[in-house]
Parts: sequence; structure tokens; C-alpha cells
Amino acid sequence: MNDARRAATPGGTGLGREWREDLLLLPAVIVAAAVVGIPILRVVQLSLSRVELDGGLKIAWNGLGQFVRLWQDGRWWIALRNTTEFTVLSIVCEMALGVAGALLLHRSFRGRGAARALVVLPWALPTAVMSLGWAWIFNDAFGVMNDLLLRIGVLDHPVAWLGRPDTAMAAMVVADVWKTTPFVTLVVLAGLQGISVEVQEAAALDGLTGGQRLRHIVLPLLRPALLVALVFRIIQAFGAFDVVYVMTGGGPGGSTETVSLYAYKNYFRYLDFAYGSAVAVQSVMLVGLLTAVLMRLARGSGGTR
Amino acid sequence: MTPSELRSACTECAAGAGLIGRAWRALWPVALAGLAAGCAGQAGAVRASQVSLAVLLPASEEPFWEPIARAFERLHPAVRVELVEGPQSTDLREDLYTASLLARDPTFDLIYMDVTWTSKFAAAGWLVPLDPWFDARTRAGFLPAALAAGLYEGHLYRIPLRTDLGVLYYRSDWLAAARLAPPRTFDDLVRIARALEAPPERWGFVWQGKQYEGLVCTFLEVLAGHGGFWIDPATREVGLDRAEAIEAAGFLVDCIARQHISPPGVTTYEEEESRRLLQDGRAVFLRNWPYVWQLAQSEGSPIRGRVGVAAMVHTAAGRPACTLGGWGLGVSRYSRHPAEAVEFIGFATTLEAQRQFCGPSGYPPALEAAYHDPALLAADPFLARLEVLHEDAVLRPPVPRYALASDILQRHLSAALAGQVPVARAMRDAARETRLMLPPPPHPAGLRAP
Repeated sequence: MNDARRAATPGGTGLGREWREDLLLLPAVIVAAAVVGIPILRVVQLSLSRVELDGGLKIAWNGLGQFVRLWQDGRWWIALRNTTEFTVLSIVCEMALGVAGALLLHRSFRGRGAARALVVLPWALPTAVMSLGWAWIFNDAFGVMNDLLLRIGVLDHPVAWLGRPDTAMAAMVVADVWKTTPFVTLVVLAGLQGISVEVQEAAALDGLTGGQRLRHIVLPLLRPALLVALVFRIIQAFGAFDVVYVMTGGGPGGSTETVSLYAYKNYFRYLDFAYGSAVAVQSVMLVGLLTAVLMRLARGSGGTR
Repeated sequence: MTPSELRSACTECAAGAGLIGRAWRALWPVALAGLAAGCAGQAGAVRASQVSLAVLLPASEEPFWEPIARAFERLHPAVRVELVEGPQSTDLREDLYTASLLARDPTFDLIYMDVTWTSKFAAAGWLVPLDPWFDARTRAGFLPAALAAGLYEGHLYRIPLRTDLGVLYYRSDWLAAARLAPPRTFDDLVRIARALEAPPERWGFVWQGKQYEGLVCTFLEVLAGHGGFWIDPATREVGLDRAEAIEAAGFLVDCIARQHISPPGVTTYEEEESRRLLQDGRAVFLRNWPYVWQLAQSEGSPIRGRVGVAAMVHTAAGRPACTLGGWGLGVSRYSRHPAEAVEFIGFATTLEAQRQFCGPSGYPPALEAAYHDPALLAADPFLARLEVLHEDAVLRPPVPRYALASDILQRHLSAALAGQVPVARAMRDAARETRLMLPPPPHPAGLRAP
């Protein structure tokens, strides 16, 4: 592992040359600092402050006060639970369906180009627009979902999908899976195309069946692609906002409110930037930690690569 | 909360919701505001001596503002009025204003505000008090409730331009056929709804039950109908865990769970979902805003001439109540031309301007005289009815953190409606959380004369 890492960095060249190379990076670093760095620092600073709305929005230093408040805030814990539930459910489905879809699209068949283009479609749609569509699909009186299930006899009375905590969460997961599976498919497909045909052929010659090849050759070699898809999806799903905002508004009874929605409400609806920032900072810390653990795990067990 | 905030009409704003998706991307609205400022600046540069007044409004309202803005410019040749077309969604426009005002940006001179923004914006110090410019005589010209919605701690910050009112629609033809009088009490409503409904094809009573501002508006009417209150603005007392409030919430829960006059899906409805049921002949009673009237009476509507309007029903202890909505104008503290901005507000709220604004749009006017104006009445006889209903208008509590108070109530009510929590517990929790978030009353009780 260490050798591989060392080999990846261009060591051994003259120091002066590296300096000049670094200098070329400067414009990009400045731009990044301006549009990413400064806002991040500002959010961190705000999360350590207090905002008085009644006093004309005065901002004062508050130490870790907002975080203490956060850890005692039942609504935040519920939002965190909802977000975790949404993230786990949607990612499990998306990874499974995404890999299956990629394996299908990797085979050659007539119309594969068209199929690949079609698959990307849901992903290309703005999330808020597709959420609006799904909200109407799950509408109890006018929705397609009820109509379909009533017709084929699965249901005997219409269900208010977005009106119950469990089904509302499920509906959001369905919408998100529909929308984001193509992303996983694309990443995994790229990974599949990076696996050389020779390896597969050799395995076939050695007498491995299709299932065995998938398990022992393809999936291990796909690990980097899967990890990329997973990390991206965790970051996105943990920040889920549009789907919730449009489909349920966090309801019923706050059972689908996510941490992003809660942060947004604190910022814009309650004008409590300090607390909103604390929610955001805490979320970033949690996602960062999770990602770090995942990377470590993946690297630790990734001896074959 | 207004009828213009229709979900069907806001694909574009829904896309915008993605834009401002994460709160830490707050830079976007600022950038947009900056862009708008850039445009305004360019336009101003053409005639440098001119004063430019900008206001952000929903794009759909622009045609109705246009004649007023041009007439104002003819009267004041040195002033130009910039009508910046914004998203349809109330929340998104509030975000744009908020981002701009936070940055102390002078882009918007006039702030076109929902009733619920007044306290928050005033407390944040973003609005210029308008008391010196609007004397008692001018104030008396407005509908009292609409004007009161512009007050915060005794000062006037917002002048109403158009109002909105939560009302109860009923199928007058079905009631007449069954020889039933329109309901006056909650018991009447339940009895009639049960007699005339045939679920799931036809429901007795539909309203806005999704966890959002509309639920609070519906509840406020039912609450007042039971004789209860939410937050007393003077004493900051919270009434949500009193017997009347628990009864009021219990009534809505029972509509779904016990009486079966409201569909289980009502807990997912906003204005449009519930209106469609009435429009399709699938509901006996509907709680909604005045915009439904125009659609119900429109050419080709299956319920044309078959709908009646009343205030929400009430108990013997309660009173009929209509939640007040509506839009008005305030002046930004960061405006470089506050005097001209005030001048424009005065001009936009004359009877002539109200005629131009409300006639073609059908928005309920804020000026009392407009309700007796022959031209407006001829165009829309419904106005006469609306004026009477305004006497029952109730305001949402004018506290700076109103949005948080509303969210607390929404969450707990919604949980009770979904059957997750018993009503009494939901209301007790809501009351407790509301008390925690409220600052102490502006004038401590101890300082008052006994």
C-alpha cells in the first residue's frame, strides 16, 4: 500500500521545478479560496456566534453554545435520524440497482447507445422538478400510483402515501432512487470498461462460471469505482434538500425533515444564522468522519489493488 | 401564504429551490441580487440624474403593476420604477429579499411583503417606520385588519396593497337540494358533510393539512371558532394547550379519523390539491382563499353558480374567523431613496391605483373604498361578500420569530393529524416549545398598574 502511494507522487525531481509547478496552481488556489474557503470560514465563525433578531441582528461570540444547544435539540436529533434513514435506504437501493444496470449496459446488444442515453435522463432532470412530478404520482386522489395499485388489486382503498411517516419516507426514497441510480450506473459502467477483457477471458478459461467471475473478479476490480459512487452518494444524500422541500416539506409531523432542510429553515425562515451554521458544520463533520472511515475500510481491505 | 403560491404554478421556483438548496450556498441569492443591481445600475446610467426605485415581485403580477409604475413615472419624471420579476414562490422571494437585506444591499428600495414577514423584517431593523408619512386619515382608508398586519410594536412598517382571506366554500346546490341551510357550527358542518358525502368519490370537508403554512391558516380559523388563541401578542401568552385549542385540533383530527368527512390524504394537501376536489365535484366543503371563487365561476367550470361562501363555522363560545393573508409594501432601510419610495407607496394605494391593480387581476383590494367602487363591483360582485367577511379577519401572531412559531405548530399538528401522537400531547408539546422560543413580553407584567 505504501509503495503504491509513493509511486503515485512524482518524487525525485528537482525542488526548483516543483516550485514553479506549484506557482502555476496559484490562480486556481486563489479562486478556490475566494469562492469556497471564505464562505466555509464564515460559516464556522457564525456557528461559534449568537444572533439576536430582536436587537437588529447583532452577532456576538458564543463559543460552543450553538453546539450544546444542538445536542439538546430533539428536533435536530429527529432530523439526523431521518437523514440517516434516507441516506442508508436510498444508497442501498441505488448501489444494487446501479451495479445491475451497469452490468446490463456493459453487454453489447442492439440499441445499447440509445439505452445508455435514456438511462441518464432522470439524472439530467432538475431534482425539484422531478420531485414535483413524484409528489403528484403519490397524491392520494389524483395520483398514478394509487390508480395503478387499485387497478391490479394490490390495494383496495387509496393510500395517502405522503401522509404517513413510513410511506412518506419510502416515497422520497423511491423518487431519489429513480433520479440518482443513473449516476451510480454511469460511474460503475466506467469502472467496468476499465477492467481488461483479458482478465475476464483468462478467468473463463480457468473454468469460472459467470457468477463466480462476478464475485471474484469483477466486483473486487470495481472496488474503486464503487467507492467513488458510494462517497459521492453519501455526501449528496446526506445533504438531501430539494426532494424533501418539494414532496413533504418535512412532514408529516416532522418525520421526513432532513438536517439540510433544518439548516435552511434556521437560516432563512428564522434568521438564526448562528444556529443554522452550527447545523451545517455538524453535518459536514459527520459526513467527513463517515467518508474517512469508509475510505480507511476500503483501503484496508483492498489488498488486491 | 397566498393563492399565488400555487404549487402547480411554480415549476420554475421549484427549480430555484434546488438552487438555494443548501443554506451555506447563501451566496447565490446575493449574486442574483447583485446581478439585478447591475441591471438596475445600467438602466440608471442612461439618464444619470434619475432616481431608480426597485421592487421584487412575482413575475405573474408584473402586468398589473406596469400601469401603476408608468403612471407614477409620468407624475414624477425624475423617478424610474424598476419592476424586478422574481419567482412565484413566496419562500423564494423572501430568501432573495433576506439575502439582499442581510448584505445591506440597496438594490431593493421597496419590499413587497407577505403579512407574516412584517415582524421579522421590522425586528431585524430592515424597514423604515412609515408612521410620519401615513396620518390617521390615510390609515382609516384601509381595511382595519389589513392595516393592522403592518404594525410591529406600535409602529407602521407595511402598507397593504391587496388582502387575502381564508373562507369556507360549500356546494350551495347540494345543500339546497337537501333543504339544508349553510352550517353555522362545527356540528352543523359535520352533520351536513356526512349527509351529503359518498367517499371516496365525494368527500365532506377538504382543507390544507400538509405540514406547511396553510395548515396553520386552517387551524387558526378552527381555533378562533372554538374561542381559543395561539399567541397573545401583548402578553406573549401561549394558548395552545388550553382546552379550546385541544378541542380545535381534535376537531380536525376527528374529521379524518372519526367522522370520515375528510380524506386521509388531506394531510398531504396544499391549496391546489384541495381545490381540485371541489372543482371536480368531489367535495361538499372546502377551506381555501378567494382565488378559488374566480376558478369556480370560470367558463366551463362544472361547479359554476353552485358554490356558496361563508366564514369558518364556530361554537357558541367561539367566533367566525378568516385568516388574513395578503401583500403590502415596506421601505428598505438600505434604500438610497426612501422619500421617493414612500411617495410611490402612497400613489400605489390610491383608489385609482387599486382599481387598475385589482380590476384585471381579481386580487382583493386593501382600500375600503375599493369595495364600494362601482367599476370594481361590476367586474366582480364577489367583492361585496368579501368585504363583509373581512370583519371576521384574524391575524397570525406578530412575533419576530413567527416562522419558528408556525413551524412548531405545524409539526405537532401534523403529527396529531397523521395519528402519530395523541392530540392533547401534541398541543402540550407545541405550547411548551412555543413558550421556550418566545422572548419575554415587551412590557413586563410587573411594570403595569395592578
